[in-house]
Amino acid sequence: MSRARPRKKLDLQLSQERKYELIRRPVVTEKTTLGGEHGQVTFQVPLDASKPEIKAAVEDLFKVKVKAVNTTIQKGKVKRFRGRLGQRSDFKKAYVTLEEGHSIDVTTGI
Amino acid sequence: MQVTETNSEGLKREFTIVLSAQDIDEKVDTRLAELAKTARIPGFRPGKVPASLMKKRYGQAVMGEVLEQALQDSSQQAMTERDITPALQPKVEVTSFEPGQDLEYKIEIEVMPDIEPMDFSKLSLETVEIEVPDAEVEETLGRLASQQKKTEPLSEARPSQSGDVVVIDFKGSVDGETKPGMEGEDHHLELGSNQFIAGFEDQLVGLDKGAETTVTVTFPQEYVNDELAGREAKFEVTVKDILASVPTALDDEMAKAYGAESLEDLKEKIRDSLDQQYQQMTRSRTKRSLLDKLAENHDFPVPSGMVELEFEQIWKQVEADREKGELDPDDQGKDEETLKREYRDIAERRVRLGLLLSEVGKRNEIDVSQDDLNRALIAEAQKYPGQEREVIDFFQKNPQALANLRAPLFEDKVVDFILDLADVAVRKVSPDELKRELDAEAESGAAGEGEGEAKPKKKATAKKEAPAKKAAGESGAEAGGGEGA
Repeated sequence: MSRARPRKKLDLQLSQERKYELIRRPVVTEKTTLGGEHGQVTFQVPLDASKPEIKAAVEDLFKVKVKAVNTTIQKGKVKRFRGRLGQRSDFKKAYVTLEEGHSIDVTTGI
Repeated sequence: MQVTETNSEGLKREFTIVLSAQDIDEKVDTRLAELAKTARIPGFRPGKVPASLMKKRYGQAVMGEVLEQALQDSSQQAMTERDITPALQPKVEVTSFEPGQDLEYKIEIEVMPDIEPMDFSKLSLETVEIEVPDAEVEETLGRLASQQKKTEPLSEARPSQSGDVVVIDFKGSVDGETKPGMEGEDHHLELGSNQFIAGFEDQLVGLDKGAETTVTVTFPQEYVNDELAGREAKFEVTVKDILASVPTALDDEMAKAYGAESLEDLKEKIRDSLDQQYQQMTRSRTKRSLLDKLAENHDFPVPSGMVELEFEQIWKQVEADREKGELDPDDQGKDEETLKREYRDIAERRVRLGLLLSEVGKRNEIDVSQDDLNRALIAEAQKYPGQEREVIDFFQKNPQALANLRAPLFEDKVVDFILDLADVAVRKVSPDELKRELDAEAESGAAGEGEGEAKPKKKATAKKEAPAKKAAGESGAEAGGGEGA
């Protein structure tokens, strides 16, 4: 099975700058607080951020262990302003599941 | 809540109150839960904000609010439990507080003293009744008459003299220039009445009818018109007629000019108004002697905080007077210490009397009715003729001012009440005797040593506000309430 093929270990070299860029801001909403009960935190990240990058950045910046990262790109809405059509920017959210026993207090900021 | 009494001497009470951290936390949480129902935080629908987030956002603010409330409630409770009526706002001092720990604080209260009014029927006082002497009525009548001079043409020609009324045309100029308002025709000028610039009238004395003359006068430096002030002016004057003034006869005619029906009526009116003046005089004297007696017979302890407040007020007044150099002659040459001691005594006396009067009023349910208040209001308004409307408006908009108006009324009523009970002897005296007595009193007061020093005088002027203020404080709420009704 192709699935069983050993994966090439990704060699990620993240500069400190890039790490801070990756984690833009926490997303604090009703939905994300629900996730908080299962050790899940949510961040807004750049559109071009990859999951391994996010994992590395979160682990390093918050000194926690990350179990998984799920991402989604949220498309910006089309809004009308003064009769003109406008487009809000898209953005990417990363749902980061932490290992048991780890936590990040998203409301206090870094 | 734990309350321990740490100090109790005289009227002072000091408590240490401990509120457990648990209680406070509980209160904060309930308050937060209340807030959470309506709080709007982006990302959440109202009412769906998690408690942890609320705490982080509003915890500090709510804590402050809750603490304040808790302080108030607990001190209130402590006081009601011990049945204490504070005389002034209690002083609160937080000794220790850390979030998550017990709150400990101290309150200092001054208790209202227990006032036991004396048996007023044992008071014996003396009032003076004054019969207005006829001579005084006549004198006033004469003054009124002289204000209403009549003139008649001279029976035989003679030069003008002081007291005459001359009819003149005049035309004035300054440096050859005429100015508006400097001429007149057929002007009736009474010589010696000083209606014109000084010197003008003098120069018209000794002129015959039909004479023409030039009068030179210098306008005074402080003359209203800046242009003319201090300048010399020439007036060309023609004397058209000379009228001699005739003393007015005291008859019904003259009485009518003053709005009375007949001479008798006018006399009656004069007598009434004089009578009223004397009554006011004797009343204030009786009141003072009553207050003196009351002060002698009561020596309940007085909250020192109130005395301090009163004293500061008096002292401020004294300082202001001193700055202006208008210090009471009795006080001159005394050093600061003595003065302060004296005024502190006065302050204490005032506070004591104020408390006593308000207590008597409360016990006997003496109240200032709306009618009384309205009457006082109208009397006050009449002091400012032409602006009655504004004055009344002012009072209606300022419950505080109205309370100030109410206070003396209340005081008067209480004084009346006590006077009714007291044993009052009436003595008839003539006005002169009264004046002599008053003088003698002031004299002996000033001459007396130590305690009696200079007091009667000061008391007379100062007494009024003291009970007034007290009552104002007490009835302040009432007055505010009465307003709305």
